[in-house]
Amino acid sequence: MVGVNHRTAPLDVRERFTHGAHEVPAALAKVLAAGASGGVLLSTCNRTEFYLVADDEPALDAVWALLGERLATKPADGAREYGYIARDRDAVRHLYRVSSGLDSMILGESQIQGQVREAWEISRPQAGPVLHRLFQSALHVGSRVRTETGLGMGTASVASAAIQVAGKIFGDLAGRSALILGAGDMAELAATCLSDEGVQITLVANRTYERARAIAERLGGKAVSLEEAWPHFATTDIALCSTAAPHAVVTWERVGAVIGGGARRGKPLCILDLGVPRDVDPAIAQIENVFLYDIDDLQTVAAQATARRRDEVPAAERIVEEETDLFWAWYGGLGVVPTIKEWRQQMDTLRATELDRALRQLSHLSPEDRMQIEQFSQSLLNKLLHQPTIALKQAAEEGHGYGLLEALRRLFGMEPPA
Amino acid sequence: MIVNLHLIALALYGLATVFVLAPLIGGRRRATPRALTIALPCAGAAFHVVAISRLTPIGLGPALSMLAFCLVLLQLASERLLRGSAVSFFAGPLATGLVGLAILSGLTPGAGLTGAGSGSQSAWFILHVALSALGLSLMALAFIAAALYLLQFRELKSRRFGQIFQLFPPLERLDQLNHLALVAGFPALTMGVLLALGYGAQFSGGLHAAKAQIVWGVFTWVVLGWAVWVRVVRHWAGRRAAVASIAGFGAVLLVYVALKLTQPGAERFL
Repeated sequence: MVGVNHRTAPLDVRERFTHGAHEVPAALAKVLAAGASGGVLLSTCNRTEFYLVADDEPALDAVWALLGERLATKPADGAREYGYIARDRDAVRHLYRVSSGLDSMILGESQIQGQVREAWEISRPQAGPVLHRLFQSALHVGSRVRTETGLGMGTASVASAAIQVAGKIFGDLAGRSALILGAGDMAELAATCLSDEGVQITLVANRTYERARAIAERLGGKAVSLEEAWPHFATTDIALCSTAAPHAVVTWERVGAVIGGGARRGKPLCILDLGVPRDVDPAIAQIENVFLYDIDDLQTVAAQATARRRDEVPAAERIVEEETDLFWAWYGGLGVVPTIKEWRQQMDTLRATELDRALRQLSHLSPEDRMQIEQFSQSLLNKLLHQPTIALKQAAEEGHGYGLLEALRRLFGMEPPA
Repeated sequence: MIVNLHLIALALYGLATVFVLAPLIGGRRRATPRALTIALPCAGAAFHVVAISRLTPIGLGPALSMLAFCLVLLQLASERLLRGSAVSFFAGPLATGLVGLAILSGLTPGAGLTGAGSGSQSAWFILHVALSALGLSLMALAFIAAALYLLQFRELKSRRFGQIFQLFPPLERLDQLNHLALVAGFPALTMGVLLALGYGAQFSGGLHAAKAQIVWGVFTWVVLGWAVWVRVVRHWAGRRAAVASIAGFGAVLLVYVALKLTQPGAERFL
């Protein structure tokens, strides 16, 4: 496995390495042409990783070249400067940690599971049987970790913490109404999260009308100016504020009477203030049914979830290790029978060649004696090969066969398996 | 036999309560698996229902036992509604305590208490006791939902995000549960009171119940009626409705204890 992720490369570099679904087949074809027999490309906003069945260098060089082409400025070491490599068992463990969310920027996030599935499906025609099995098992490991541990519990980002807090007031968020103040990236992200939960974005208010209209059109709401938004505090369930104003815009003077008046009939109002500096006057929280949360509160909720998830890491790592053993046992056993067969054949050919040469020099021997010598050579070969064969099979059953097979192939000059 | 079955139910309810309260008391981060918090009260209720079927529903012990049984059933039903085990934070200890008290009070009628008479008389009486117990336990459930509401409200208002925030259900669901329990409890209790009046007129030639029983029965009915009225007619909701439910239930409990202390015979309901 060779790749880059959020720990090794900054965002602007990761953005350049990101491959869209339509780019994956061509990228993999280039790497396969360099000698890999199978490949899967996992490309998300936080990582671009090539999982390959290959001998080391030519395929790796092809990957670095492929990624290097995308860099705007070329560092001395090219794309290698941002990357990492994991081989054999470490590569399996790495993928299992990725699919479990153990390697994610937000520990335990579940989106990666879908991204691993998508990567596998897109790369399927070029994956080959080993990677096919590896990715299937990675999805299984991801599911196991999420069901058997609490790694995925709670919410670990500010946007999802906002959803959790609103959910603790209203229960089901579907059908609730929300007004959005501000039209920056943060407001848009949080509004999208609310919309995904079924919340109706009724209004987007912003100083710049055009920007508000763009978000409102996308989320199905109406764009208004900030001044037009205040009366709507009488009816909305959720108010999400994330403006770039240098002072509070939602003040007691503007909305105190609207919220505290009889129009709401005691209906709760959840105000999520994501602005820095804060957009909402803290005095508004004194109104009976107003629940006001600022960015610090939401970060506290997110941090608690992360802390709870950290407690679950050892249990998740145990599952990853257990499943890595299982995969490695399968992989180790995969090549043992054909390799032993090939090795024994090679040894037998050698024996036959040497026997033939020796018997040519011993032409005075009777046919019975020649037969005796041939039997002796056969028996000697069998005795010599017996213990290594047993050891190889046993190692394969225990999941350590791959290293021994590689050693055997190198020592006896055998070709790598197709 | 009846006492033994009650003891088994008590042990199972107690165990379920310990498991449910453990995350709150011990600060454990993960809640007890729901299968366990549902299976234990279910098993307890199975023993409990067998015990109740062999019980003569006269006196304090049997009344408390029936009340506890109704409460456990309502706890299980509301947990399904809330998709969480928060109701058992209160219902668990309450039901366990009621079963314990029932055992201590004695589960067979005392010397001063008479039977319910003929078959139709006893069916009438059992229905009265069952509906009254159901009405009272629904009132207790409304109180529990209200208490959970106020605790979660305080947690959300003060932005504490502790165990209560994590483990308790959303405010609106608790408000709905409180509303539902009051609206369902009122007709059940009304029927219980009417059956008691009808029983007196039909079989006893007039109302011969003790004064305390009449005072408490009518008081409870009025309080529950008021709680339903403010919710349904005056549209009280949220914190105000929760405070009203708690005040109502507290008043009913206080009046009962006061009347019980002034009445002779520990084994009598009133």
